[in-house]
Amino acid sequence: MPALIEIIISVPEHGKAGYSQSVFHRKGIDRQVSSRGLPLVADDMAYSFRGGTHVREHKITRKSPIEKMTAPPVVYIPMSQNIGAMCTPLVAVGDRVLKGQKIGDVENALGCPVHSSVSGTVKEIRETVNPTGQKNKVVVIENDFEEAVSDEVIPFAKTIQETSTEEIVDWIRKSGISGMGGASFPTYAKISSAIGKVDTMIINCAECEPYITANHRLLLEDPKSVLNGAKIIMKALKLRTATFAVEDNKFDAVHEIDNAIGRSKLFKVAIMKTKYPQGDERQLIFAITGKEIPQGKLPADVGCVVFNAETCAAVYRAFSTGMPLIERIVTVSGDCLKEPKNLLVLIGTPYSDLVEFCGGFKREPEKIINGGPMMGMAQWDINAPVTRGTSAVLFLSGRENRKYNQPENCIKCGRCVRACPMHLMPNYIVAYTKLLDFGEAENYGAMSCVECGSCSYNCPAHIPIVQYIKVAKNTIRASKSAAPKN
Amino acid sequence: MPDLLTVSPSPHIRNGITTRRINIDVIIAMLPALVWAVYVFGFRSLFVVLVSVASCVIFEALFELVVRRPVTVLDFSAVISGILLGFNLPATVPLWIPIAGGAFAMIVAKGVFGGLGKNIVNPVLAARVFLFSWTRVINTFSKPFSALPVFSFSLEEADIVASATPLSAMKNGGLPDFSLVDMFLGTKSGCIGEVSAILIAVGGIYLLIRKVISWHIPVTYLGTVMLLTFIFPPSGTDALQFMLYQVSSGGLILAAFFMATDYVTSPTTPTGKMIFGIGCGAITVFIRYFGGYPEGVSFSILIMNLLVGYIDKLTKPKRFGGVPKNAKQ
Repeated sequence: MPALIEIIISVPEHGKAGYSQSVFHRKGIDRQVSSRGLPLVADDMAYSFRGGTHVREHKITRKSPIEKMTAPPVVYIPMSQNIGAMCTPLVAVGDRVLKGQKIGDVENALGCPVHSSVSGTVKEIRETVNPTGQKNKVVVIENDFEEAVSDEVIPFAKTIQETSTEEIVDWIRKSGISGMGGASFPTYAKISSAIGKVDTMIINCAECEPYITANHRLLLEDPKSVLNGAKIIMKALKLRTATFAVEDNKFDAVHEIDNAIGRSKLFKVAIMKTKYPQGDERQLIFAITGKEIPQGKLPADVGCVVFNAETCAAVYRAFSTGMPLIERIVTVSGDCLKEPKNLLVLIGTPYSDLVEFCGGFKREPEKIINGGPMMGMAQWDINAPVTRGTSAVLFLSGRENRKYNQPENCIKCGRCVRACPMHLMPNYIVAYTKLLDFGEAENYGAMSCVECGSCSYNCPAHIPIVQYIKVAKNTIRASKSAAPKN
Repeated sequence: MPDLLTVSPSPHIRNGITTRRINIDVIIAMLPALVWAVYVFGFRSLFVVLVSVASCVIFEALFELVVRRPVTVLDFSAVISGILLGFNLPATVPLWIPIAGGAFAMIVAKGVFGGLGKNIVNPVLAARVFLFSWTRVINTFSKPFSALPVFSFSLEEADIVASATPLSAMKNGGLPDFSLVDMFLGTKSGCIGEVSAILIAVGGIYLLIRKVISWHIPVTYLGTVMLLTFIFPPSGTDALQFMLYQVSSGGLILAAFFMATDYVTSPTTPTGKMIFGIGCGAITVFIRYFGGYPEGVSFSILIMNLLVGYIDKLTKPKRFGGVPKNAKQ
């Protein structure tokens, strides 16, 4: 471990051995705790929010250690992998590129550079369409398996203590790090917009989506790197504490984090109730601080900032090795795969290679999903590449879902109202959307919907509620931008 | 490698609950009361319920065929309506009563509004009120454990050992002849499914455990009736006794668990449900005290059914994060 990290890890030691001070006690009531002060079982004291739903977990890969996947012969690196502008390719067809070399960047706009994840030759720069329907450019690189590393890759040279916030932010931008939980907001932009505004930093290890175990395995196998990355971000934000938020279905991870924290007073661990969408930063911040983010505002507006656990680990790797974000942990799972696995995958690896590495299919998949089954995006192409935001790739058969394709009449059971974490009435939004009365749909809070899917998941009539609300949102947005400004 | 992939919006998984599954739970919850009815009134009561179920299912299917809508009898909601309609009739009724009631419920109160989920009022209660037009046949109750001929289309006067229901006894002042134990166990005269308060409550608790219904409507409905009857007993009666007789008589407990909680015709918000329950309770007591009929349950729920849309609108939950200032109201 490089020296700079050593320095920030050795924090002053206080008190006697025992970690109860690092674990939150809600309402001051003692939990059933181990001698080390950690809760032993899930209990009602866990942090939570009103609404949401307990989704069947399907965490079949929770016991599978992270395997480093063999490098694919060809990688497909999209120029747009995060929120913000698309990168302009800096290489041409025929160029030789090295591992970690910057191959695309954005000038004067929100966005961060992309890097080659292998060494090899640029075969093609392809125009494609994202699953969201936006145009994208993909740099196709043929791997020469020489693993030649670019000389741009050099570890951060200073100790963190004498580093300024700007230097940290620049280094994170240079390393191409964006949020790895799924939304992919550029991390440097999140930090610089939060400077001076936040007093609470939360490290999101909730992982409330079914199937996904990438964060869980990371916390079990390498909690130190998460911790160290978090410390770098804390230094940039000038914060003295940060809180790990872990759902109470991952007590083994809680123990690993607690061991890694040691006697440090920099970190706390908050045990969250296992409930979807606990990992949504709105619900997470509310559960821990009691603050609600108003519609259209950011966590920084209520003094909070949330980073995904793997994002923190990526920050640490970027500082300690200098290697930009070129690989990530992906849970490759679903009922169609022979051997579901947690893999460390190079960015740009096509899904078909993941399938091959996981032993192939045991039955034909009907859906391929990038991300979790609640909010992930169905893909039409099995050769779509892994990007920075790909926390999971799921191969699901239609066996469970086909019978739900026929919506029935709404019976007004109110399950969607009970499940909505934003406290909306999805049944009425759907009813008004069907009537094309988008004004009323907006009065019922269509624009506040976070599209978490709790309503559709619980609907006994199998009405595609989220889809209706998306239609309402898009129509309302379009009519707003079309309306003359006065 | 797959040739064809399905691309559809998230979420990609469901929890597997279906309308039919919910309805099957409701049917299961009504079985204890049905078994008890057979014990008290004989197989005639089961026969009336079966005719009523058949009527509801057949008329719903027929209506849907005529108006060319998909036939939805397999969601079992018509079966529930049929059982509840039978529960709301005395075992002594001629069989044309459940047949006509089923037709009214499925066609007039439900079908023409657009079928399941679209009706404004509870179809069963609408049919019951429609059948009140034949006051004499609807209000002839037999004594418990009097043997009734099972299959005859309409019973002869001689077959029926008529008995006053507890509610009409209280309407005429004073308390019923039955003991409170009879009242709660269900060894009394009354409609088929209404007699055993305890077994109906057992079914209701099953629905609560299965999370088919929430506590809001039953608790507020029964609570309001208990409170009002306890505060305002008729002069000369013991308040507690009067309250217990009131709660255990008529269709109150059946309605509180099975009819006021009907999803389609009750509010969707917890606060709305409580307002709905309190309203039902207050109107029930009002009619029982001052109305011409001894029973006010059906009317109270029907009246509150009409207000459901407004109650939902009034009790819209406070949005997470609040409403932005510039939003149009």
